[in-house]
Amino acid sequence: MTNAIEINGLRKEYKGFTLEDVTFDVPQGYIMGLIGPNGAGKTTIIKLIMNLIRRDAGEVRVFGLDSRHHEPEIKSRIGFVYDVPRFPEDLRLRTIASALSAFYARWDDRRFRALLDEFQLSPRQVFKKLSHGMKMKFSLALALAHDADLILMDEPTAGLDPVFRFELLTKLRALIQDERKSVLFSSHITSDLERVADFVTFIHQGRIIFSAAKDEILESWGVVRAATDGLQPGDVPGARGFRRTEHTLEVLTADLDAARRSALPGAVFDKASLEDIMFFISKGNAHA
Amino acid sequence: MLKLLRLEYLFNLRQLLIMWAILSVYFCYVVARLNSPGVFIVTTSLMVGLAIPFAVVGREDKFKTAALVCSLPVRRSTVVLGKFAATWAVIILGLGYTLLLAALLPFSKVPLAGVLSARNLLVSLFLVSVLFAVILPFTIRFGLTGIIILLVSLQLLGILALILARIFGGARNLVRIFFGAVEGGLRSLLHHQATPGYVLSLAAAIIAVNLLAILVSWALYARRDL
Repeated sequence: MTNAIEINGLRKEYKGFTLEDVTFDVPQGYIMGLIGPNGAGKTTIIKLIMNLIRRDAGEVRVFGLDSRHHEPEIKSRIGFVYDVPRFPEDLRLRTIASALSAFYARWDDRRFRALLDEFQLSPRQVFKKLSHGMKMKFSLALALAHDADLILMDEPTAGLDPVFRFELLTKLRALIQDERKSVLFSSHITSDLERVADFVTFIHQGRIIFSAAKDEILESWGVVRAATDGLQPGDVPGARGFRRTEHTLEVLTADLDAARRSALPGAVFDKASLEDIMFFISKGNAHA
Repeated sequence: MLKLLRLEYLFNLRQLLIMWAILSVYFCYVVARLNSPGVFIVTTSLMVGLAIPFAVVGREDKFKTAALVCSLPVRRSTVVLGKFAATWAVIILGLGYTLLLAALLPFSKVPLAGVLSARNLLVSLFLVSVLFAVILPFTIRFGLTGIIILLVSLQLLGILALILARIFGGARNLVRIFFGAVEGGLRSLLHHQATPGYVLSLAAAIIAVNLLAILVSWALYARRDL
């Protein structure tokens, strides 16, 4: 499998936060979701891929090329959507597009106009008069108009209404049908990722917890529930976190099959959703 | 590079038109009052050299579009060169425009023949370069806040120097010596005989100051996290 992005041992240190030893790949032709609670390091990873911030260590390769040495070549093939679109607020959409289109050899003006039509935007509209959702639509139109091979999106669905979120996710799904294009998008909205992602990378406090195929994760991770007096978190194989209430103990396991085989007394086994995983790892009592 | 120039032009056109309107009013007043070519050159250079970089580079900070420009398929060093070239292009246009006002306005008192000499034009470019060389790296690294911090720091330094001068008094205090040196330097720049050696030295100084500003800006911008 060819990789669109290969990240190896990435490190970035800030005061009070360190992104540590981040390693994962984004396979070409697939959608990778980068998931984690706020402040986990998702935006930092995306900025490091785009060279918007300097890395302290590690390597980022995009399309097989080093992201620092081949910066213009790589970026000409990336469509980038920010969490908060930043454009000169007082300009019309057509002026912004005209300024940016010159940088992309594969810019297709007809496609851009068609996307604006589809998103019910007019090229004559002034950027500052758009709602957040419309600004995201405009950003997406810009990112898609130059036939990018890789779409990088930082929290694209945050603050969007459900209708446009659904439209956006459908568009992303359609985008990768040619098996040439890839998408990496960060989100803390787990349902979005469950809907469209092929692979999921979970990051928490600057460290990668796992990076694997979504189906594999949803198949192997689970939640074991039992009465508090009949079960200890350490009894559950592959335990990664737990939550204790007055009468029940819930344990997140990365190996649901092994947990089932271990014949825990009175335990109930359920598959874990991405939301369960995010909750138990970030808010539950982490289990060593 | 041309793409970046075009981008800067499209992104900043509105701001430049506003600046043009303000400068027009200001220079109409200036050309009606000043009849000394030297004072006109210094005033124009300081005004254009300060206002235009502030308008062009500062606007990026206002809308936080630095990340947008750096996400485009260009190297950061090219981005710096683009800003530098765009700002210089507007400065040249600005200087040309003020000369045009001085020449065409019927109430202008500026003796244009005195202004339009190779020496005076080079002195003007030198002053703009020095000003720009200080402002550009600061803006590129710290944005609009950088310029404001720089200007406020200079103001505070000036106030402190004046207080010290008042306390320690005397005709030979440091403030008087400093301003005397600046005035003397400007006088000698403007009144030095325009020998080929002098003109070439001024041209070399302009190039050196600009190269230094670009090198410092490259180094600072490469380290900037967006």
